[in-house]
Amino acid sequence: MHRPAGARMRAPGPYDRTHPPGRVIDRAGTPGLRISSSALTSQQKPCQSYARFAGAGRGPLWGHGVQSGALESLQSLLAPTIWASRALPFRGVIEASKLEEEVEVASIDPGEGPPAPGDDEAASPTREAVAHERWPYWAAVAILVVGLLVTGILTWVSAAQYNQNEKRLLQLRVKEVAAVLAEAQPATDTPLASAAALVDATNGNVHKFTHFATPYIGSGQGHFPSISLWQPGGARPVATVGAPSALSASPSTARAFIARAAGSPTLSIIGLQPSSPTRLGYAYPTATRRFIIYAERPLPADRRSRLQSNSAFSDLDYAIYLGRSVTPGQLLVTSVSKAPLRGEQAKTKVPFGNTVLTLVVSPRESLAGTLPQRLPWIIAIGGVILTLGATALTVRLVERRRSAEHLAGRLDHALSENQRLYAEQRTIAQTLQHALLPEELPVIAGAEASALFEPGERGVEIGGDWYDVIPLDDQRLLVVVGDVSGRGLRAAATMASLRYAIHAYAAQNDPPAAILTKLSRILSATETGQIATVLCAVVDLGSRQVTVATAGHLPPLLISDGHGEYVDGEIGVPIGAQAGAAYKSITVPAPPSATLLAFTDGLVERRGEELDRGLERLRTAATADHQGLPELLGTLVAELRHGPSEDDTAIVGLRWKN
Amino acid sequence: MEELSAHSGPQMTFDVATNGERTVVTISGELDIANVDGLDAAVAPVIEMHPNRLVVDVGGLRFADSSAIALWVRWSATVGDIEFRDASPLLRRVITSMGLEGKFRLTP
Repeated sequence: MHRPAGARMRAPGPYDRTHPPGRVIDRAGTPGLRISSSALTSQQKPCQSYARFAGAGRGPLWGHGVQSGALESLQSLLAPTIWASRALPFRGVIEASKLEEEVEVASIDPGEGPPAPGDDEAASPTREAVAHERWPYWAAVAILVVGLLVTGILTWVSAAQYNQNEKRLLQLRVKEVAAVLAEAQPATDTPLASAAALVDATNGNVHKFTHFATPYIGSGQGHFPSISLWQPGGARPVATVGAPSALSASPSTARAFIARAAGSPTLSIIGLQPSSPTRLGYAYPTATRRFIIYAERPLPADRRSRLQSNSAFSDLDYAIYLGRSVTPGQLLVTSVSKAPLRGEQAKTKVPFGNTVLTLVVSPRESLAGTLPQRLPWIIAIGGVILTLGATALTVRLVERRRSAEHLAGRLDHALSENQRLYAEQRTIAQTLQHALLPEELPVIAGAEASALFEPGERGVEIGGDWYDVIPLDDQRLLVVVGDVSGRGLRAAATMASLRYAIHAYAAQNDPPAAILTKLSRILSATETGQIATVLCAVVDLGSRQVTVATAGHLPPLLISDGHGEYVDGEIGVPIGAQAGAAYKSITVPAPPSATLLAFTDGLVERRGEELDRGLERLRTAATADHQGLPELLGTLVAELRHGPSEDDTAIVGLRWKN
Repeated sequence: MEELSAHSGPQMTFDVATNGERTVVTISGELDIANVDGLDAAVAPVIEMHPNRLVVDVGGLRFADSSAIALWVRWSATVGDIEFRDASPLLRRVITSMGLEGKFRLTP
């Protein structure tokens, strides 16, 4: 952005605001405005000023005598520091590319402009945030709800499946138990049936009966404590083997039961509560029905009989009731300490003589095994853990995204703010740079002076290049070009002090070599780390001679009649290298219409290239051109600086007039 | 942003070796305002301690701007004897164009 200092002064605050910062940056890479001020011969007053907008030119726009308001705006826009005289009518050449735009921008009323960039940038992320503002955790909540729902359903299905399976297994098991129970019945039947057959065959021979029954008396398996022989209608047994039967203790019950048993084709069973322990009575009628074989067997104490742990049914609890009803009074035997059974259970009936046994079983443990039993729990716990994990992960992702967005917003803001500050710094630096350069070049009869400064594309820092044309008297001028090493305010400050020191020494009428020796005492590389290369050339218009002394600076080019020669004298050390260094000057004649060009290294130096090639390039370009001096300088700068040069370039030219 | 990144500067590598009597600084790449301070920060303490003789090996140096020259001028004011070894023709020309060939002893 090569804008003259005047532009900033014309439209200070509003100008920045109407230009978004990014736009200024964009334009930095394009060739911008170059300013040269030229002092013409005194005969050619009013002084002619020259402005050139380099870049995509739309062809020259001759401003000679133009009265338009736009041109007046431009004139005042560019005015204060550079131009020879603001009061004089503006005449010159304008190659405009962005001319209208510049003028338009400058004339915008601050009140009507868009909001200041700072406000705008501060507000826009907030607006975006509001636009995108939706409760960010909805996804996490959805995952939580769906996850828990799915877990619940899976758990329920799994549990239902398990329960159904258990029921089915229990049904199978109870049938197995019933089958085993039914199998056990013949063990009871057989001795009694055999005794009945014997009694029939012996026609009720008591002795034979006793003899037959005695081996079955006992308390072991398949044995009875008491076996007796009855006749229907009798209240007392005909014969008794073993202990007296409990039935005979109650003659009326006995008579009724025996009578009923005589009418039944199969085994009749009676539960006898009063005796202790409670007994079960079996009555078996003989084939002729003339006799009844009756046996008793005690039920286990407290009706409890545990299954052995290695039994096929050790995983079941059971209760066996006599008859069809499940009542405590009818309980024959159970595996639990306190009937009835609790929990899941299955019931079945097993035929038993003239009655039935009701078998109730319930599982002691899961019939299907541990895994199916625990599966619902595993699903529930696993599902909840997974759901919570997924929810936590989502929350974390949401938070990270939010923080990333927040950060990105802040970075955006910081970036645009940086760009704005950068643009501002550049403007300040360039304003300062121009302020440190001569406001106007002196007007001297018999010569034309012109200068051009092109800032490097090196960011915001001010450089240390400068030029000066100082009139010594009517006949003589001191032309100075210098370059302070480094950049920034220190370089600018050193440049300013050297520049004004030269003015002071020039006022004392010191020759160039003496000026340099004096300068060498005011800058020390050891103290400030800076050196400066300085070229001093005294141009004597009267004697047509040029006296050049250089402190580490490139020699000036003297052109006459299409022929260029560098004024190569002895090069002294740069200012700052040695206090009080001695410098030698060289004096050469200047032919009529000669042109002297003094410049800084930015014009000829390219990285990786021999310096002499750059000097030769300048010589060729400068001698090939026969335009006016300001145009020549513009052409040289435009042609010789290739690409975006980092280095500042200053060039000052002096042309003798015939 | 191009201009901002330009501040990172071109590549420059250096090496400092000293035996107390003689310090050898080897610089290669491009030495300019962007990286000259880094070099100075590394070398200055060494030549402060051993200011007798400094050899600057610039055989691998492709470019040096006025900031680099200013640094060398400062070094030359600090040490008793400074020698620039293996300077390229380009660099020799820069040094002579600045009238410093008498201050910087150029050796092959």
